[in-house]
Amino acid sequence: MLRFAPSELTDAELALQAEVREFLDAELPRGSFAPGLGMAAGRDKNFSRALAARGWLGMSLPRRYGGAERGVVDRFIVVEELLRWGAPIRYHWVADRQTGPLILRYGTMAQRERFLPRICRGEVSFSIGMSESEAGSDLAAVQTRATRTDGGWRVSGTKLWTGGAHENDWCVVLCRTSDEDDRHQGLTQLIVDLRAPGLTVRPIAYLDGSEFFNEVVLDDVFVADDLVVGEVGAGWAQNTSELAYERAGPERWLSTYLVAEQYLREHGATDERAEAALGEAVAGWWGIRTLSLSVARLLDAGQAPAAEAALVKELGTRFEQEVLDTIWRLVPDDLDPAAESLFERLLAAAILGAPSFTIRGGTNEILRSVAARALRA
Amino acid sequence: MTVADGLAVLRECGPDRTAETVLLGEWLLAQAGLSGEGLAVTVAPGSARDSVVLRDGRVSGTAHRVPWARDAARIAVLHDGRALVVDRAAVTIQPRVNLAGDARDTVLFDGAVARSGPGVDADALFLRGTLMRIALMAGALDRLYEITVRHASHRRQFGRPIGSFQAVQQHLVMIAQQAALTSVAADTTARRPGGFEIAAGKLLANRAALSAGRAAHQVLGARGTMREHPLGQLTRRLWAWRSEYGDEHHWSTRLGAGVARAGADSVYPAITGGSTVVSV
Repeated sequence: MLRFAPSELTDAELALQAEVREFLDAELPRGSFAPGLGMAAGRDKNFSRALAARGWLGMSLPRRYGGAERGVVDRFIVVEELLRWGAPIRYHWVADRQTGPLILRYGTMAQRERFLPRICRGEVSFSIGMSESEAGSDLAAVQTRATRTDGGWRVSGTKLWTGGAHENDWCVVLCRTSDEDDRHQGLTQLIVDLRAPGLTVRPIAYLDGSEFFNEVVLDDVFVADDLVVGEVGAGWAQNTSELAYERAGPERWLSTYLVAEQYLREHGATDERAEAALGEAVAGWWGIRTLSLSVARLLDAGQAPAAEAALVKELGTRFEQEVLDTIWRLVPDDLDPAAESLFERLLAAAILGAPSFTIRGGTNEILRSVAARALRA
Repeated sequence: MTVADGLAVLRECGPDRTAETVLLGEWLLAQAGLSGEGLAVTVAPGSARDSVVLRDGRVSGTAHRVPWARDAARIAVLHDGRALVVDRAAVTIQPRVNLAGDARDTVLFDGAVARSGPGVDADALFLRGTLMRIALMAGALDRLYEITVRHASHRRQFGRPIGSFQAVQQHLVMIAQQAALTSVAADTTARRPGGFEIAAGKLLANRAALSAGRAAHQVLGARGTMREHPLGQLTRRLWAWRSEYGDEHHWSTRLGAGVARAGADSVYPAITGGSTVVSV
């Protein structure tokens, strides 16, 4: 049976929530910046550093590396406020969410000392090098290969959908280091310098014309031994644990939140259709947030709720799309992506962004299979 | 017994008359200062079609969809903010049922003598009735989930358990999600029974009743449609309860209007803080 127990925030957690809200009101007042949609929001290194100065980057990391040793729920509270505000989180997003915990868990002492304090200060950015043209949902099919050389590895292959490779510092690349009978063995995670000789970044234009995603071609790129994460050949297990537990966070159900809020700001809810749309949306967020928060509580309690997290991500990402359709139906006119109305711009951006919600970080079809394994009598 | 205890009983034991007699009926009488007789009382939920008038201490008119009126000793109706209580023997009952076959009778009052008490808010009664439906629906969905998962694991077709087919797994996952949503809605509303939580909770429960109910029947196949199969006992009640105490239109417009009144800046604080932030 699945474990979902709703909980109230403690006084300390409510105080953190209030603190983040005050911070955003002061640092990024509404109207002073162009808010973005969830993980697709803007990139602003100074903003990331301001968060770092409050202790809100690398929150779960140990103090000796500059972290705050706070729990998953505390990070949940900070992240949900940033996302629903449309704050520019892209500079620190992957480092804070994924790479920091990965290096803490599997990295060497030297890697921790080298990267973690800089992650906590908002001074280093990472990309994720997982997908390839023949390895989408079937990630174990990656063909990028690292071969041993003096003092390190030579890496060749092509990664696809590497977000931010053109602007970030490093990329954690999953590559094959040996051929084994079990193809889940023999994979290794390497930290690759995105400016290294032999590495070429080419933009992939997304539906809306933006060029956040890239193809990263590695042609005999040298990676020193001290940039291997964890054990050589054990990359699959590391990679899946990295994916599993961060799946159910607020980024999986808040991507279209601002569309609804901004609709209300600009149009009000002047008839029953609009009221019903708003009511449906708010009820959905209330319920999914409760589930998502309960997964964060399980993580803080030392559990590994992989099935619950998959279930919430699948539900949340579909909800992001449904809520978008509900709001879209309130708009009789065709949309101008460059309209003066912020609502119209956000709606247009959300419509074009929405197909990726149920694909990125594991397609919903795969997530249902992951969750279904736990649903056995 | 606290409300939360009562809701836990409803959720665990499912449909009996506790909801109507103890948690709603006795509560209403206590509010009106009329309790203490120990006889089963049922409460008219208050339908738009009701026409109840009080003249010289006597009740006339019709109340619709009164649960278990035929079996109750007393029947309570709300009228102008007062609770009116009449003896079952003093009214005429037209037996009616809901989708599940449970009694939802029409009660004809023809000058029945009523005792009355003050200070009962019709909306408070409606919210409380809704709160109980959420608990009942969460319990039914928990059992529906168990039945469906068990069936998918044991039933074999094409030489393997049907739960090993991806198309069936998708139904199971959806049912698990809907049961989980309704479950946390019931837990949260039991702990914090505010207007926001009840509105959102009933909306989620109603949605789950439709989507999980349909998916469960699909997984169970033809045998789930047999009258005596436990699945139908659950789905028929879920569908009946979906309409009782507010359908999706009722609660979504009410919730949306409440949030809209609070304004755009309050939408997210409402999602996290519920009835501490907005009144619905």
